[in-house]
Amino acid sequence: MNKPLPHFVDTSPFDVYETERLTPEQERFYMAPQWRLIWWKFRGHVIAVAAAVALIVFYVSILFSEILAPYGRDTKHTEFIYAPPQSVHLFHQGRFIGPFVYGLKYHLDLETLKRNYTPDRGQVQPLRFFCLGEPYRFWGLVEGRFHLVCPARGGELFLLGTDRLGRDMLSRLIYGARISLTVGLIGIFVSFVLGISIGGVAGYFGGWIDAVVQRIIEILKSLPELPLWMALSAALPVSWSPILVYFGITIILGLLDWPGLARAVRSKLLALREEDFCTAARLMGASPKRIIGRHLLPNFMSHLIASATLSIPSMILGETALSFLGLGLRPPVTSWGVLLTEAQNIEAVALYPWLLLPMVPVILTVLAFNFMGDGLRDAADPYS
Amino acid sequence: MRRNGAALQPVRGLLLPLLLSLTAAADPAKAGIFIEPPALAAAVAAGALQPVAERLPAEPSVVALDGPGQAPGQWGGELRTLVSQPKDTRMMVVFGYARLVGYDTNWNLVPDLLAGVDIEQGRIFTLRLRRGHRWSDGAPFTSEDFRFFWDDIVNNKELTPGGPERFLLVDGKPPRFQVVDETTVRYSWEQANPFFLPALAGARPEYIFAPAHTLMRLHPRWRDRAELEQQAKAEGQRNWAAFFNLKSQLYRNDNPELPTLEPWMLTTKPPSSRFIFARNPYYHRVDRNGRQLPYIDSVALTIVGASLIPAKAAAGDADLQARGLGFENYTILKQAEGRGGHHVRLWRTARGSELALYPDLNAEDESWRPLLRDPRFRRALSLAIDRREINQVIYYGLAIEGNDTVLPQSPLFRPEYAEQYARRDLAQANRLLDEIGLTRDGDGIRRMADGRPLEIVIETAGEDPTQIAILQLMTDHWREIGIRLFPKAEQREVLRNRVFAGQAVMSVWFGLENALPTASTPPNELAPTSQQQLNWPKWGQHWETGGRAGTAPDDLAAAELLRLYTTWTTAVSLDEKRDLWHRMLAIRADQMFTIGTVRGVPQPVVVADRLRNVPVEAIYNWEPGAFFGVYHPDTFWFDDGLKEGG
Repeated sequence: MNKPLPHFVDTSPFDVYETERLTPEQERFYMAPQWRLIWWKFRGHVIAVAAAVALIVFYVSILFSEILAPYGRDTKHTEFIYAPPQSVHLFHQGRFIGPFVYGLKYHLDLETLKRNYTPDRGQVQPLRFFCLGEPYRFWGLVEGRFHLVCPARGGELFLLGTDRLGRDMLSRLIYGARISLTVGLIGIFVSFVLGISIGGVAGYFGGWIDAVVQRIIEILKSLPELPLWMALSAALPVSWSPILVYFGITIILGLLDWPGLARAVRSKLLALREEDFCTAARLMGASPKRIIGRHLLPNFMSHLIASATLSIPSMILGETALSFLGLGLRPPVTSWGVLLTEAQNIEAVALYPWLLLPMVPVILTVLAFNFMGDGLRDAADPYS
Repeated sequence: MRRNGAALQPVRGLLLPLLLSLTAAADPAKAGIFIEPPALAAAVAAGALQPVAERLPAEPSVVALDGPGQAPGQWGGELRTLVSQPKDTRMMVVFGYARLVGYDTNWNLVPDLLAGVDIEQGRIFTLRLRRGHRWSDGAPFTSEDFRFFWDDIVNNKELTPGGPERFLLVDGKPPRFQVVDETTVRYSWEQANPFFLPALAGARPEYIFAPAHTLMRLHPRWRDRAELEQQAKAEGQRNWAAFFNLKSQLYRNDNPELPTLEPWMLTTKPPSSRFIFARNPYYHRVDRNGRQLPYIDSVALTIVGASLIPAKAAAGDADLQARGLGFENYTILKQAEGRGGHHVRLWRTARGSELALYPDLNAEDESWRPLLRDPRFRRALSLAIDRREINQVIYYGLAIEGNDTVLPQSPLFRPEYAEQYARRDLAQANRLLDEIGLTRDGDGIRRMADGRPLEIVIETAGEDPTQIAILQLMTDHWREIGIRLFPKAEQREVLRNRVFAGQAVMSVWFGLENALPTASTPPNELAPTSQQQLNWPKWGQHWETGGRAGTAPDDLAAAELLRLYTTWTTAVSLDEKRDLWHRMLAIRADQMFTIGTVRGVPQPVVVADRLRNVPVEAIYNWEPGAFFGVYHPDTFWFDDGLKEGG
């Protein structure tokens, strides 16, 4: 006799906490999506957060270079060649004035032909903030005159000194960031696409495809990096415009950076493809592309992001090194590497040390990326 | 001694013997009394070397050393200098400047290795050697060395497949070569050859002789060919000719076994990072006290990275240094004065212009070419340049502003050549451009005939950051006349190929190489005679190849320059030549075929405090001048009154 079982519904309220009582924190934790968990963990990493903030500031600054820079990228001040950095003062003769600089008194040492500048104590030049100054074209499109800070009317403001044509180093650094910081991003994008697709294919299919890819990676990895960059960038047609050269350089950097990422992707995929959800997807007829893209990659995307963050600095350093060697970008394109090329002589070291300042943002950026990458890597696996 | 020097007017066709101002008949050198250099005394005492009187030619060249600041000196010491590449051993041939005929400091050609030259009608050259003159290994230097060069090198199809060099050809025909006697040779052409003597006097000289006694051993005419080929193969050379060429380069100066006539001879076998040059015991010059030159016993050439040369010179690691130093290094060098026992002097470079713009009159672009060929356009470009600012910003006002033309030190100089269209005059520049019909658009930039904005891309070899800096200054100057300028740095070869193909609109190079000409200097740089001239490569190529490639000049002024140049090569009288030079210079200044900026840029020269006879103010130039060569470093000496290393 097949009698249906009696239908029973417990009418008493369901208590999810019946077996185990969770605190609100625990509940929040278990209910939170993965990205939030990563954020919580990352937040605890003070240095990484500081680095992230610094990087955000840097990257936001490249959106507003024209406004942040007191002068244009190529504005020459031929009466202030090789002027040293001016310091900002607040008090003049014991009286508070607000931020100001002293004017510069120029004197040519006829004996050594050295241009000497001394602060002129009689000339107080208060800085102007949110002011109208030198006109520019915002991103080459919109005319504007608004600056964050301007020199006093008729005065000058060289917080980081000037170069051989009297161009303000600070402004050039700010404009240089546009190139130097984005080289890394575009390069990483190229290397990401290559690394994930090649590594994904190798890991998912395995077998001879994997073997071939692995050997190629080993060969690529065994080539010394700098000479290879140099050879490839020497192969860029010299008749290219500076902007094309810029893209060429980023692509070269990206083309050589993917093997490490491809290996990481491959090893992860080798493990994940044996999981049940993967088999299930395959049984349901999903294509390899869909399985890799939708089911496997998201499982370790956080890890990928962390490793990408760690390899951006090597891109930035790569551009700097190539430009420094005269094989990368060339003036009038201004990147930090190009600026450092101009400091490549004994005069810069002995007489005009402020020409070496582009080192500072390079170091800061690379360190910031490394710290942030460290924090991200720790946070990327929130369940551990 | 009868005659120890002769000033030459090579083209006039006669020799003007000029007795040097011989102050005292009592000079020991005049009386034939010579003193043994102490560095060689031991070898002489041991019998390994003949005494000095037997080593010198019968009539040595007696050096007066009576110029301002000059004095006969003492022997001894080692001169340290820095170079950046191993191939710079050739610099010792440049600095040594022992030439058959060489320039003196007034840029006249005078005999040096030769006792004299007789010239008839500018086409028959009789070279008289010094009797008893010897190579640095003691073998006699005679007409046999000229014969060997002529018969066995130049006219040997395997060694010289292309035949004689250009300077030996007149209308494509080589000279008739005669050996008159042991110390006399004669070269005769059917027509005048004004290129012959200047080529011999070059910083990189053309040789017409070779050490026969050494090189015969490498020549199949004098040896078994099979054996020689075997030796060449053993040395890793393709054939005997390659082996011969490797071993016989007097200019390259990299074979210590090859004897020389220069004051110092190479003693270090390459490769090395430090080359020692020892005194040539058979050198042909003596001072009036009877001391054989050179004064300095040895020269040490150290190879360091180019960027290290300023630092090392400032640290006192060089006794005489100009190569590798630029004007921008002056401050560093000056500040280091005293610490390294040296002082810095500022000499002047002698190019027509430190940076000249070359509008390419053979440009392929159909709208650019007519514009670049319009002299009004070139004049306007020149008028807009603020040469004063360039001079002040880059050279502290120490350079000379002006066009790309001969220097004031040249007898051919006239102020108008340098000043025409060289003073900034925006009103006139704008008027000229308006006249051509280049109207300004809303953004203040002029439009070309086809509607494109007037944007000139100036291509530069980009090796020198100063060039880019000057171009960046010019960018602002030209914006005021409604023209945009974009500097573009390329590699040297790419730049040349683009210019040769007419793809570049305008390029940048130095101005005239020889800006110190006399009327007898060939004016080939002024006319379209070479593909290397970046303002008219195709016209130059046409001339160079005899019409086989390139195109004939179809610009009236350029064609006129070429006509004047050809007239010059056949002109005999010096007055006629001078007149032709002036006509060419005037056309050049009026037409602005190249646009000069500044010239006479100071060249820092580091000189050790104890080094004497180095001029305080002088011209530092490659051709003519051979850098230090024309001041004869064999007459420089160390004053031991100051402590060594000072």
